[in-house]
Amino acid sequence: MPFLPSTLHTRYRDEIRLLDSGFTRFWCAVGIVSALILPWILSNFWTGVANQALIAIVGALALNLLMGITGQISLGHAGFLAAGAFISAALVTHFDAPLGVSLLCSLVGGAVIGVLVGLPALRLKGLYLAVSTLAAHFVIIVGLGQYQNAASDGAGFTMPSPSFFGLQIVSERQWFYVLLPISLLALLVQINWLRSAFGRAWMAIHHRDVSAEVLGVRVARYKLLAFSASTALTCFCGALGAYHTGFVSVEAFDIHLLIQYLAMVIIGGLGSVVGSVLGAVFVVAVPHVITAATAAAPFLQGLGSKVFEIQIGVFGIVMLLFLVLEPRGLAGVWARVRAYFELWPLKFRAWES
Amino acid sequence: MNLLVVILIQASFYALLGLGYVLIYRATRILNLAHGDLMVFGAYLFFQTLAWTDGNIYIALIVGLAGATLLGIIVYHGVMRPLAGYPVAVGVLATIALGIVLRSIVTVIWSGQTRYPSEYVGQLGPPIVLAEGISVSMIDALIIVVSAVALIGLPVLLQRASIGVDMRAVAENALLASQRRINIHRINAFSWALATVMAAIAGVFFSLKVRLGPDIWYVGLAGFAPALIGGMDSLRGVAIGAVIVAAAEVLASRFIAPQISLAAPFFVLLIALWIRPWGLDGSREELERI
Repeated sequence: MPFLPSTLHTRYRDEIRLLDSGFTRFWCAVGIVSALILPWILSNFWTGVANQALIAIVGALALNLLMGITGQISLGHAGFLAAGAFISAALVTHFDAPLGVSLLCSLVGGAVIGVLVGLPALRLKGLYLAVSTLAAHFVIIVGLGQYQNAASDGAGFTMPSPSFFGLQIVSERQWFYVLLPISLLALLVQINWLRSAFGRAWMAIHHRDVSAEVLGVRVARYKLLAFSASTALTCFCGALGAYHTGFVSVEAFDIHLLIQYLAMVIIGGLGSVVGSVLGAVFVVAVPHVITAATAAAPFLQGLGSKVFEIQIGVFGIVMLLFLVLEPRGLAGVWARVRAYFELWPLKFRAWES
Repeated sequence: MNLLVVILIQASFYALLGLGYVLIYRATRILNLAHGDLMVFGAYLFFQTLAWTDGNIYIALIVGLAGATLLGIIVYHGVMRPLAGYPVAVGVLATIALGIVLRSIVTVIWSGQTRYPSEYVGQLGPPIVLAEGISVSMIDALIIVVSAVALIGLPVLLQRASIGVDMRAVAENALLASQRRINIHRINAFSWALATVMAAIAGVFFSLKVRLGPDIWYVGLAGFAPALIGGMDSLRGVAIGAVIVAAAEVLASRFIAPQISLAAPFFVLLIALWIRPWGLDGSREELERI
C-alpha cells in the first residue's frame, strides 16, 4: 500500500462526499462547535453583530450565485433586499401574517421579481445588464418610497418580534440560534446546487453562453432560473433583516447597502462559496471593529464624527486592493493557507483533485 | 415656451455629463460609475480655491480643472491600468469602489455640510432676456454655451487633431496602435483626464447653480442615462439622449410629482434599454462584443 494523501480519492463515493477529507471534517466540526458556543462568549452587542453577519451571509451567497457563478452582473440587490423587507412588512402590517408565512411570501415574491428583472438579461450582457439592474434598483426604491409615504406617512414600519414554534424570539442570543441553522441551510443548498446540473449549467453560461448553448444548456431558462433563485434568496434575506432590525424604512436600502454587498462578494472572491461567507463576515465586522478601535485609541478621538465616512473609505480601498492585487479575494488567500496546512510537509500536489 | 428653455438647460447639463461617460467608454470600454464623484471632487477644488482667493473665479477655475486633470491621470495609472485585460465587470466594480473612496475623502476633508459657491461670485452677470417673459440666468446661458462647444468640439478633436486620431486608433485596436508607436497609456490617461475635466466643469456649474455637497454625486451618476440611451460609443447620441432624459425629468416633475424626477432618468433608461439596448446612435456590434 503506497502512501496516499487524503486528497487523492480512490472511490467515487469518496469523491462525491461533501466532507471529503479528515481535514475538512475536523475543521467543520470545530467551526460548528465554536459557532454554537459563540453567543456565550460574546457580549450582547457583538452577538448582534454576529447575527447581522449571519443574515449578510445569506445575501452574499445570493449575490455570488448570480455574479460569481452565473456571471450575470447585478447592481439591483439593495432594491431586492428592500423588496423582501417591504413584502414582509406589508404582510405583517396589513394582514398580521406570522413569521413563516411572511418569509415564504418574500421568497416567492422574490422569485417573481427575479424573473421580471432577469428578462432583460436574455438580451443584455455585461455592462448593459449592470445598468439595467441599477435602474431597476432606483425604480424599486422610489416605488417603495411612495408606498411607505402612503401607508405609514413616511415613518416606516415597525416589525413585531417574531415567534418561532410558539417561542418568542427577543434576545440576540435567541436570534443567533435561529439564524445559524438558516445560514447553514442556505450554504448547504448553494454548495449542492453548484455540484448538480444547475451549477454546471450556470458555470457554463458564465464561461461562454454560446458554447453553453452548444453543449445543450438552455441558456434562457438557466439565466432566468439564476436570477429567480438569487432574487428569492435576497428577498428572503431582506425579510430576515427586517425582522431582526425590527424596523423597515426605505432609507436603509440605499446605494451604500448595494456597495456593501458588492464588497462582500468581491473581497470574499467572486464565484467562491467560502469567499462569500468570509466576505460577509468581514464586511459586517470591520465597521464595528473600526468604531471600537476609534473609541479605544485616544489619538483617534478627533475622528469620532467622521467614523462612518472612514469606514466607507476603508471598504473602497480594501475593494480596490483586492481587485488589483488578489482578484480571487479572501477565498484565494484561504485556499493558499489551506493547501499549505493540508499538504504539509509537502509543498504542492502533483495532481489536481 | 418656458418649459422648453428649462428642458434645454437641463439637457445641456446632461450632455456635459454624458460626454464624459462616452469618452471613457470609448477609450477603455468601462462604464465609469465614479463619474459623479470625480465631478464632486473637481467642484470642491473649485470651491476651496474660491474661498481662499476670496472669490477669484478665474484662479478657482484653473485650479479646479488642473486638479481634475491630475486626478484623471492618477486614476488611470493607479486603478484602471493594472486592471487592463480583466473582464468588463471587474472594471465597473473598480469604478464603484473608486467612487466611494473619493466620496469618503471629500467628506472627511470638507465635511458633509452643504455649501453655496455662488455666495462668493454672485450671479456672474445679469439675466439674459430671450423674449417677452423668458429670461435665462447667466450661469444657465454658460451651461448651454459650454455644452454646445463640447458637443461640437469633441467630435472635431477626435476627427481632426492628431491626438484625437490616436485616441480613435487606441480604442479601435490597442495592440496595432502601440505597434505604430502610439503611447497607449499616455493616450488613455489623456482620455481619463479629459473626461474628469468634463466632469469637473459639470460639477462647477451645478455647484454654482444649485449647491455643493458630497451628495451631489447622485446628479453625476444620472449622467450615464443619456450616454446609454444615445449609445455608449456615440458622441452624437449623447445630445439626443440628453434631450430625452431632460424632457422626461422636467415633464415628470412638472406634471406628476417632484420626487419622481430623481428616478425619471433611470426609468427612461430602462425603457430605452428594453427597446434598443445598443442605444439610439450606438453601433450594434458593440453589444455583441461585450
